[in-house]
Amino acid sequence: MSTNLPDALAEYAEIVFLAPEKCKFSMTAGGFLALEYGEDKFPVVSAYRSFPLTLGDKYISIRDDKEKEIGIIVDLADFSSDQANLVRAELERRYFTPVVETVVKMKEEFGYIYWEVITDRGPRRFTSRGQHDSIVPVSDTRILILDVDGNRFDVPDVRLLDAKSAKLLESLM
Amino acid sequence: MSDIAALFLSAGKNIETVLDGETVHAKILHDVSLDGRYIEGWVYVTPTRVIVTLGDQVTKEMPITAAKSYKTLGLIGSGQLEADVDGTPIILARFNLRQMPLYANAVKFLNKVASGAETPFYTEVEERTCPKCGRIYPDESRICPACINRRQVVKRLMKMAFPHWKLIFVVTLLFWLRAGLNLINPQLFRIFIDEVVAPGQADVRLFVFYISLITLLGPVGQSVCDMTRSLVVTRLSAQLGQDLRNMVYCKLQALSLNYVSKRKTGDLMNRVNNDTGTIQSFIQQQLVSVINDGLMLIGIGTILFITNWQMALMVLVPAPLVMFIMRRAWSTFDRRYHRQWRLSDRTNSLLQDILSGMRVVKAFGQEKREIERFTRYSKRWADVTAANERFYNTFFPLLGFLMGTGSYLLLWRGGVEIWQGEMTLGGLVQYSTYAGMIWGPLRNFTFMPRWFSQAMTAAERVFEILDEHPDVDDKPNAKRVKIAGRVQLEHVYFGYRSYEPVLLDICVDVAEGEMIGLVGHSGAGKSTFINLVCRFYDPDEGRILIDGMDVRDIQQSDLRRQIGVVLQEPFLFSGSIYENIAYAKPDATASEIIRAAKIANAHDFIMRFRDGYDTKVGERGQRLSGGERQRISIARAILHDPRILILDEATASVDTETEQLIQDALAKLVKNRTTFAIAHRLSTLRNANRLFVFEKGKIVEMGTHEDLYNQGGIYRKLVDAQMDLFRMRETSLSAVKE
Ligand SMILES: Nc1ncnc2c1ncn2[C@@H]1O[C@H](COP(=O)(O)OP(=O)(O)O)[C@@H](O)[C@H]1O
Ligand SMILES: [Mg+2]
Repeated sequence: MSTNLPDALAEYAEIVFLAPEKCKFSMTAGGFLALEYGEDKFPVVSAYRSFPLTLGDKYISIRDDKEKEIGIIVDLADFSSDQANLVRAELERRYFTPVVETVVKMKEEFGYIYWEVITDRGPRRFTSRGQHDSIVPVSDTRILILDVDGNRFDVPDVRLLDAKSAKLLESLM
Repeated sequence: MSDIAALFLSAGKNIETVLDGETVHAKILHDVSLDGRYIEGWVYVTPTRVIVTLGDQVTKEMPITAAKSYKTLGLIGSGQLEADVDGTPIILARFNLRQMPLYANAVKFLNKVASGAETPFYTEVEERTCPKCGRIYPDESRICPACINRRQVVKRLMKMAFPHWKLIFVVTLLFWLRAGLNLINPQLFRIFIDEVVAPGQADVRLFVFYISLITLLGPVGQSVCDMTRSLVVTRLSAQLGQDLRNMVYCKLQALSLNYVSKRKTGDLMNRVNNDTGTIQSFIQQQLVSVINDGLMLIGIGTILFITNWQMALMVLVPAPLVMFIMRRAWSTFDRRYHRQWRLSDRTNSLLQDILSGMRVVKAFGQEKREIERFTRYSKRWADVTAANERFYNTFFPLLGFLMGTGSYLLLWRGGVEIWQGEMTLGGLVQYSTYAGMIWGPLRNFTFMPRWFSQAMTAAERVFEILDEHPDVDDKPNAKRVKIAGRVQLEHVYFGYRSYEPVLLDICVDVAEGEMIGLVGHSGAGKSTFINLVCRFYDPDEGRILIDGMDVRDIQQSDLRRQIGVVLQEPFLFSGSIYENIAYAKPDATASEIIRAAKIANAHDFIMRFRDGYDTKVGERGQRLSGGERQRISIARAILHDPRILILDEATASVDTETEQLIQDALAKLVKNRTTFAIAHRLSTLRNANRLFVFEKGKIVEMGTHEDLYNQGGIYRKLVDAQMDLFRMRETSLSAVKE
């Protein structure tokens, strides 16, 4: 693994990059992810994204049940598709972020916004605090919507929404 | 494995069949499937079982005792309920974060049953939706903006306004006067035109009289009236606003730390300042204009219709259209100006960022990039502002034209009537003046519902605080006592949020005058222990006794007066050093203050300041180093002369040399007082009588430094780890020297 740190410092940055061929992920009966890494067996591991907003499937930290880092997956694309899918399912569980496909209704009332949306996980109604607290711009075209409880909804590209949804969202941006 | 397979034995059966009439403690929505789709499923908790369904079909069922323990896990955007079956964790259900408190509450019950508690009972928690309309409460308050009982709120505001009835009376009089003046002027105009300057009339005295009268009652009278009125109204609303602010502030002081820390500081500040401000400006501006406008509309309307109802209808032809457009345009305006405001806000904070980070910017040579970034923002701001101006400047003239159409109709009809001799010239002037006066009030009425509902919501949010019941409250028979200093905790459990225990089954008995060192990793619960002793919070279970008396039976103010606290980040109020030392004892004499400062090793550095003890500190004042602030706060504690002393990482943020001075000061302070000291550097706790070692909310070791060190347990490990660190530093230092 090459990093851009000056060589003299490299020895201090002890990152374990997980070698795809040594990893064997599986799903436990309880619904958790398990990992066999070479000789080592981890009955329950979890996966954390290092850059959840920008580099979704890259730099995934795999941690044991004490939250100690076992190592980092540089890119899920380096894994076989079954293995990658197991990890993706685990990531999906940790970062539950439905993607908004249509904004059916958005009513601003009393300083709160009442939403009715259709997401890739099904239809949903939720309430968010005024626009400043509930709309997080990630890039020029992507936003996250946070509801009052901290649930998240992703709008990956505002330009790809239908005209009506885009117009409703536009009014908040 | 067989245990897990047993979970699914009833899968597919109907919930009623599986429940078989057993009581249901809770039925909680689980609305996310294990593979991440929205579903409608339920988790049933009965006295003996947990049952998970999808709709009314059971998917999992287990006896509560089949698992060792249960827990909730908050993930990003969802949460899950887990059971630990023979060391194998199992996900029972996933749900959106709204359900978290409900599940956490259920878990408390489940764990009690699982651990074989004798009489587990299920405590209900409230849902956070409005029972009336089903809307989710938008914030931590329990106020549904849609269902506020407006009449109740108005009544309450009026009650608060009552003490100011004299001012209100004056204001009312001024309103009537102002409306009267408004209405009378067109009348005078008519007489002037028809009778004073009509052809054939040349009475100069009458002419002068009318001109003076019109001027006096018109511009002069109206201005005087407006000026007095706004003076009086401002005074009234300022008084009301201040009343409200004071009430909220006093209430906040009375409420427990728990209440205050549960909410965001911003939210509370909002309620103290913005909400009371909204109410104040509502009274000051909108309410005033509504009363005024109401009177005017009624007055003018009556006159218009009585004088000539056909013409009155003509004036009103464009009214519905105009009001409709104004209402629609409002949201566009709001949005546009909000956007402009936000961009300006962002540009400003960017500028502030760059200016205050100037050293970093320059050090890394990033000036050019910062200039580009700023230019980009500032250009966007300028563009939006220009667009808004264009919008504003086209929209209003058009609207004006529309409103004017009524007057053209009026001129046409009025002209005809004059020709026919049915109306005089003065009559027409009077009529069209009245007609022009109707638009202002009409416009304000369009916006009224919005203003009103904003003010009502603000008032309700303020009232909510006023009605809050302090959860660390003085009992009515709480006593004032002189504390000797014995402190006992009996089976104390506590968590800041009910579903996250921070302290578990703490039992200690500390003798009067004993010095206790609290050690453990950060997050172990040391500060929380101290918060309970100070009674900033009450334990969830168990008791805290001081001198054998439950702290809940001691008046809080009395208790705190006898407990002194020195924290890691000493807080100094804006004010002089003198005031800060004397904070807990405002009547202290100057020599007492100096003595306290001397004991705290603070006197000498204070005397080096040009203004000595009068030196201003705090936000705008003299900058003090961490060690200096600490010594001032120690002087404060010394003057306070508490029976129980608490030192929470008092020396953590100072250099070694100052630390010696502070240690020295603290050693004097600790004598003869019950002391609880938390210190990161364990060496500073050497002279403690006993040490309590905290780990994950429990006290796991207890004893003197020697005992614990020789025992070779957790404490030994902590000490050795620090020694290693110390040695490492020494060697690396000497390495550098060589
Ligand atoms: N005001 C608070 N609200 C919620 N959780 C808190 C609060 N203060 C502390 N905690 C949590 O309680 C636990 C114990 O904290 P604390 O008593 O401050 O530990 P220590 O002082 O030993 O470092 C930590 O997990 C911390 O996150
Ligand atoms: Mg602490």
